[in-house]
Formats: sequence, C-alpha cells, structure tokens
Amino acid sequence: MNNRWWKVALAATVVLGASACGGAASSDGPVTITYAVWDKEQVPAMEKIAAEFEKAHSNVDVKVQLTSNKEYWTKLQTAVTGGSAPDVFWMNGPRFQLYASQGVLLPLDEQIDAAKVDTGAFPEALVDLYTYQGKKYGLPKDFDTIGLWYNKTLFDAAGVGYPDANWTWDDLREAARKLTDPAKGQYGIAAAADSQANYYNTIFQAGGSVISADGKKSGFDDPATVEGLRFWVDLINKDKVSPTIQQMSDTEPAQMFSSGKVAMYYGGSWEAVGFAKNADLTGKVDVAPLPKGKKEAVVIHGLSNVAYAKSKHPEEAARFAVFAGSPEAQRIQAETGAVISAYQGTQDAWLKATPQYRLQAFLDQVPDSVPLPHSKNTAAWTKKAEELLLKAWSGEQDVTEVAKTLAEAVNTELGNEK
Amino acid sequence: MPSRVDRRHTTWHVHLVLVVGALVMVAPLAWEFLTSVKSFGESVRVPPTILPETWDWSNYGKVFEAVPFGEQFLNTVLMTAGRTAGQLLMCSMAAYAFARLRFPGRDAFFLLFLSVLMVPSQLFLIPQYQIMQELGWLNSLPALIVPGMFSAFGTFLLRQFFLSLPKDLEEAAALDGANPLRIYWHVMLPLARPGLVALGILTVLWSWNDLLWPLVANNDPEKMTLSAGLATLKGEHLTDYPVLMAGSLLATLPVIAVFVVMQRRVLEGIAFTGTKG
Amino acid sequence: MTAVADQSVAAEVPAATGRPARKRRPTTVAGRWEWLWGLAFIAPTGLGLLVFYIWPVFQTLYYSFTEWGAFGGHVWVGTENYVKLLGDPEVLKALKNTLVYSGLVLLGVPVSLVLAALINTPGLRGAAVYRVLYFLPVVTMPAAVGMVWRWLYNGDLGLVNHVLSLIGISGQHWVADPRFALYATAVVGVWMTVGYNMVIFAAGLNGIPRDYYEAAELDGAGRIRQFFSITLPMLSPTAFFITVLTSIGALQVFDVIYLMLGTNSSALRNPAIDENKTIVFLFYERAFIDNDKGYAAAIAFVLLLVILVLTVIQFRAQKRWVHYA
Repeated sequence: MNNRWWKVALAATVVLGASACGGAASSDGPVTITYAVWDKEQVPAMEKIAAEFEKAHSNVDVKVQLTSNKEYWTKLQTAVTGGSAPDVFWMNGPRFQLYASQGVLLPLDEQIDAAKVDTGAFPEALVDLYTYQGKKYGLPKDFDTIGLWYNKTLFDAAGVGYPDANWTWDDLREAARKLTDPAKGQYGIAAAADSQANYYNTIFQAGGSVISADGKKSGFDDPATVEGLRFWVDLINKDKVSPTIQQMSDTEPAQMFSSGKVAMYYGGSWEAVGFAKNADLTGKVDVAPLPKGKKEAVVIHGLSNVAYAKSKHPEEAARFAVFAGSPEAQRIQAETGAVISAYQGTQDAWLKATPQYRLQAFLDQVPDSVPLPHSKNTAAWTKKAEELLLKAWSGEQDVTEVAKTLAEAVNTELGNEK
Repeated sequence: MPSRVDRRHTTWHVHLVLVVGALVMVAPLAWEFLTSVKSFGESVRVPPTILPETWDWSNYGKVFEAVPFGEQFLNTVLMTAGRTAGQLLMCSMAAYAFARLRFPGRDAFFLLFLSVLMVPSQLFLIPQYQIMQELGWLNSLPALIVPGMFSAFGTFLLRQFFLSLPKDLEEAAALDGANPLRIYWHVMLPLARPGLVALGILTVLWSWNDLLWPLVANNDPEKMTLSAGLATLKGEHLTDYPVLMAGSLLATLPVIAVFVVMQRRVLEGIAFTGTKG
Repeated sequence: MTAVADQSVAAEVPAATGRPARKRRPTTVAGRWEWLWGLAFIAPTGLGLLVFYIWPVFQTLYYSFTEWGAFGGHVWVGTENYVKLLGDPEVLKALKNTLVYSGLVLLGVPVSLVLAALINTPGLRGAAVYRVLYFLPVVTMPAAVGMVWRWLYNGDLGLVNHVLSLIGISGQHWVADPRFALYATAVVGVWMTVGYNMVIFAAGLNGIPRDYYEAAELDGAGRIRQFFSITLPMLSPTAFFITVLTSIGALQVFDVIYLMLGTNSSALRNPAIDENKTIVFLFYERAFIDNDKGYAAAIAFVLLLVILVLTVIQFRAQKRWVHYA
C-alpha cells in the first residue's frame, strides 16, 4: 500500500509538472473550469459571477454544475477519491477540516494577496472557519442565520398576534396551540429533527452545547442541551402542535408550510428567495427573529468557495475561487436575494432584493450568533445524532435517555478523529 | 355441448377478477398522470380531487427547468442503444461458438460464463467504478455503456436458442466452403431472430431502467440517465409532487410507448426467455 | 404465443429424431481452424466479462479484507471486516429484512399463476388487453415506480389512505412508519413482478398439450381438479424457474427501497429507514455514502453467500415438487 502511494505521488508530480510546463505555452488556449454548487436558487447568481469572471479572463469558461444538496457530499467525496473533483466547489464548515487536512484543497493565500482582497472585510469567525494550520483555503462566500417564518393568513384567521423580537419559547408554544386545528389538518409549527434550522438553536438558547470548545467532548448529555432538544419533542408529543416525524417524512415541513398546513417554520435566510417565487405564498408570509429561551442565540454558518488541489488548471481555479469572494461577486450574489453575502457592506443589496419580508430579523440576530458546531470529521458524529434523535422525536424513548446514548456515541467518534 | 355453457358462465367471474387486478395494476400509473396535471395546491388537498379542477400542464415544463431532461433523455437512449447493440452482437457470437464450434476449453469457458450469472451485481460495482475512474471515463457515455455490453446471461440465452436450431442450413453452407464467420452472419443470425429479439427486449428494459450503476458512475446532471436524474429531481429542496410525477411519467413514457406498440413481440420474447432460460 | 410453442417443438426435433443418416464429423463445419474461430468468437464477450465482471469479484474479495481512508487508499486489515460484520446488529437486521421482503414478494408467484390460468381461459375476450395492462408495471422504470408509490402511500395526502378511508379504515404512514415500511415496499415488489411471472406462466400453460385436458374431461374431471392434477404438475418446472428468478431479484432489492424509504429532499431522515434497510441498501450506503468500501465489500459477499445457499436449497427442494415430464 505504501508502495502504491509512492507511485501515485510520483505520477501526480510528473503530471503536475508536465501541466505546469505546458501551461505556459498554452495559457491562451481555452480552459474550462467546473464550479460545483448545490442550491438551485443560487444558480443564476453563480452564473452571473462566472460570466463576470469570464469577461476578465477571456480564455476561461466557467461551467456551473448543480448537484442536489442530498447527493452533493457523497458525489464530491467519490469524485475526490477518483481524482476527478470539480475545479472549484462550495465548502461548508462541518466538512472543511476533513478536506483541508487530507490535502484536497488548494491554499489560496497567494491568490488572495495577488487579488488584493481585504480579508478584514469579512466576519472574522468565517475567515477562521476556512483557515487550516495557518493557511486560508477559501474566502467566505455568504452567511446565514435562522428565522421564524410564519404564515400571516393563518395567524389572522386564528386571531393570534404576529411573532416579534420579544417572543419566548412559551409565546411560541401558546401561539402554536391556537394555530393547531386537527380537523383541518393544520398545525402550529413543524418540529422536524433538523439540526441547523431547529434544535441547535434551542440547545444554545437553553445554555447547552453540542460539542465542547476544544472539540473533544460531546455536550449532548448536558441537562441544558437536553432541555433544548425536549422543546421540539414536546411540541410534537406533548403539546401536539406539530405534525409527527412520520408525517414530516411523507410531506416535508417546507412543503407543509407552503401549502398552509403549518403556520410557523424555522428556516434559514436562504429560504427568502424560494418563498418569494412561490405563487401560493404571495402576500402570506413574513419572518421574525427566533423566540428566546434562557437567552438569545441563533446558529450562524457560511459557505466558502474552495479550489481543488488536483485541478488540471490550478491557477485559474484558484483565481476564480478568490474572485467569487471579491466585492464585485459578493454584490452580484446579494442582489439576487438568494443569500446574505459575507463581504462587508453588501448586505443591503440582499435586504432590498426581497423587500416584502422583514429580513433585517436575520441580521439583527448576528450579535447573539453561535457558529455551527464542527470538528475534524463532523459528518461522522452528526450521522449518529440524525439516527439516534429520531427515537426521541418519535416518542419511542425519553429525550434524556437518548441524549445519554448519543453523547457516548459522539464521544467515540470524536475520539476516532485523532 | 354442456361444457361451452359452463365456460360462458365462468367467463363472467374470470372477467371480474381480472378487471379488479387490472385496476390495481393501472391505478398507480393513472394517479401518476392525474397528479402530474394538478396544481401544487390542488395536489395537497384533503380529501384529494380525482380529476384535476384545472388541467395544469406547466409541471412538465418545470421538469425541464429542474433537470437537463433533454440531455438525460439522449444519454439514456444512447446508453440503451449501445448496450443492446453490443450485447446482441457479442453475445450471439459467443453463443454461436458455444453451441456449434469445438475448441479446447469450451466447457470450462462456458462454466466460467455461467458462474458470472450467479454473482449479484453489487460484487462488481466497486471495482467497475475504479476501472472507469482509471480510464478517465467517469461522467461520460462510455462509463454508462461499456460494462453493460457484455453479458453472461445473453450468451447463455442465445446459446440455448442456437442449440434448438436445425443444422442442415449451416452444414449446407459449410459444404459450399463458407467459414464460420460467414455461417454465423449469413445463416445463423437470420435464423436466430426470435432469440435476438427476446434478448434485445430484455436488454432495452434493463438498460433504460437501470439505477444503481448510472447513479454511481455519472454525477454530472448533464451526463446522467433519466433514472438517476429522477432520483436527483426528488432531491430538490421542495418536493413538489406534481412535478415529480410529471418527471416520472416523462422518463417512463418512451418504454411504455414502445411496449404498447410492440406488445406482441415483447410478450412473446419474455415468454421465450421463460421457457428457454 | 404460437411462435413460442413452435420453438419448443423445434427444440425437441433435432435431439429426438436427429439425422442419423449423416455422419457427424467434427471438422465439417469449420475445418481445422475451428478451435481458433471458436476462441475468436467468444473473445469479445469473454474479455469483457473478465475485465468487468470476473476480475472485479476477486478485487472485491480483496477489498473485503481492507479498510479505506476518507479519500481513497486502503490498508490490509485481515478478517476484521468479517468479524465486525458478524456482530453488527445493522447487518443482521438488514439480512432479516431482505429475507422477509423476498418471502413476501414470493407470495406474488401463486398470484401470478392464478392470473395466468384465468387469462388463458379458452375463448376469453380481451385477453390481449389484460396481458398488456398487467405487464405495464414491469416496463415502468423502478425509480419512477418508487416515487409514484411513495406519493400513493403518503399518510395525509396519498390515494391509498383516501381509498381506505372510503371503506372506513384509517390508514397509516405506510412508508414512514418502521412497522409497515417493509410490507409496503414488498407490495410494490409484487406489483412490479406479477405481470412478468404471469406472462411466463401463461406460456408454460400453452405448452401443456390439449389432449391431456380432453382425456381428463372424458374421465369427468372438473376444471378445478384438472388444474391440480394436470396444470400444476406440468407447470412445476416453470414455477421453479420463476421462484428462483424472483427470489434472486428480490434478494437484491435496491431501487424501490432507495426511492421509497430513502432520505427525503430536505435531508430529513425517514424514521422508517433504520429499521428497514436491506442488504443492498446497506451496501450502497457503506460503499458510496460512508466511503467504507472495505466493509461494503464484505457485505456484498454476505449477499453472495445468502443467494448461493438459498439457490442450493431451492435446487435440492425441487426434487420433491418439480415434475419433469
């Protein structure tokens, strides 16, 4: 096996060397770069950015490649294993360290300096998120927080006041109760077992944690964490103001929300553009900050554009990855309303793109935000959480019990990371 | 003729059973169509409407927006055609040799071919993927076509067919000095038409509907087949059932159309594999 | 159907009557280069099978003794995967699910036999139409089938529960409830295979000589008795063939499970999936989602073993019930 690696490494060096040599001669020849993304709503923006880049680099053709969110990571990992990953692709926080530590990504420091991008103009936490062992592998692309989306029509019909920044968990529960009408198949809220949109937020609001600051221990068995989990489980099984997980597996929460079967829905800032396009929702929905628990908190996360280390055109790939983080590109992206751009001063464009919603709610929560939990191999333990928490959500087992089992499983996975 | 009266009598019951069964067979497909022409709002209504209030054909257009349907359709056609042509040619050659020619190791080779039949396809999947990767064929048409061009089953099926054919014609041709290639091409292949049709039908069905391999080999939406494309369509953020049903119907329709047009041939071919295989 | 009958007659002729007049000399047909022609003719398929099928089996066998890194590269771990596998509740559960699913799908075999007998009723009008309708699910893409049935089975909005509610039964969340999901998929498995098996049974029925029935009728046997004393025994080889084929197919079920029970689009896990994975689904997950290809390879060999054992059992058992004329 060692022997094999040698050969691969040798071959790679030769190939890279050859292409570098050849690069000089054929730098004017047409170069195609693939750019993998997973959000359909953002494809128009990404294509505009690609077109802008092509204007300045006439020999480069950037091809935006959409893979559904569900299959994105599977396909990417397989492609990396096969040495045929896209030249530039979206990266998220939970996966970043795994990719960076295995040498899959191209360090971008040189290109960032060359393009004179001011990294100080991005939220520091997001720049750090994509820095590994002192090297920057990606400029922040965007960021997102979670908000409480609600259906005004259903609120009006039930005579319930709209959510506002002062809402607490109890207000939410109370409103959900009034908005539930079993006869009509209508529910107050969709309490899905979703980490980023749902239970991470309440865990932090209850003062709990998912993994410890040093990334070595799980916080799932912390009583405060359990409280954050129980909030959702109770909405389904005790208060019965949410569809069951079986119902939400048959018909997704977002779908129930758009068909008016669910009055409230925790959803990211990235939902705005989809809701705006949905004719069934025109004039019916708005968004408010999340109701607070013991304290205010919301999960913040942002993507970045990274370049593939084994790209056939590493230079163009790196240049494009950096360009996508430049102020011009960030503005283009914000103007489509799809996501909040990370570059300072571009957020206004995002607010203006879908002015019918009070999107300021997402930005107002930023000061209380907590980064999306991640470690070196995040997917290994989030998979355990996904599997095990279902038992609590279904009411089959008590939350405390599940949380204890889960904490042990997560600790084992974290222990495997070293 | 008392028995004839009896039969009339029983036919009525037979029809009843068969009609109920046929309903079970067809209802899901009919519901697929009806859902595909409903608006999203109508599709989620409880209780459901049977016929759409307004016939909303826009879902079909949305399929084309959501996935590169045209490309995927073409990929599927080319994959199906490539695999089928390859199998018909190469399997019939090997089958002819196993049925008629004598050569050292024939039985051993045949046994080896047969043993491939016993192995579930999952055992080939990982190395096949790696071969494609090393050839640089991932995300390309050859990845979809090439491994599916070789078939132990097809060879076996056609061999059985060749064995059942009379030998006079080829012996006559041999006396005229024809070599095996000429005999195979001019004498055996024309005689083997029913067998080839049967294998062709099975290969077309299997290729068009194949999911696991295309899902694994090609991940660029423009290089996918319809079957894998459907799985992706389902992965879009909001599961819009009318659009999903429209996509499913579009992907299935070509094969259903071919089947309805050629039903006699298809059913005979299938029956043939049952009695010969 | 007549063509099929002709062929089976043709198959008998050379073997039975032959042409004893002509001396069979091995070299008449192809001459002395016959061996070379033979090898040349099997070469394309032979090489293809070798590269894409036979060699991969050994490669997979090797992988089953290795462990894989996140982005490729593997190390020899000996029998570790197999040891882990024996004590892995997930594998055992998948094994059980696969067997239950296959058993349920096999229940469709007698159904298709009855349907074939009905469709072959002499003088039945519209038999051709029935055949086409029953065959439609066979030609429908499994990926589409899975999606359509997931929609039909939808607990709140699906047609199945609507129809049940009309007769006063309150339905379940068929594909989201761990208690029902496997049965719900098995129904679809039957739905997809009944037409195929029916057509093959019908061909088998056509192959039974008319005079057997006429003789039985003279003896005063009714249709039901004829069915049990003539049809069933004469059809047993066909039934055996169908049973073996259906079970091998069912043991490898993937498409409908993947589409009906798999994760839905917003990445929310179906609460029914963990209890209802089949072997091939587990294989796919390990090999291509978790990238644990060594373990996946070992799982694939478990599947091979199960198929081999069950097929051998079926071949042994056939001596008891299959009647070769």
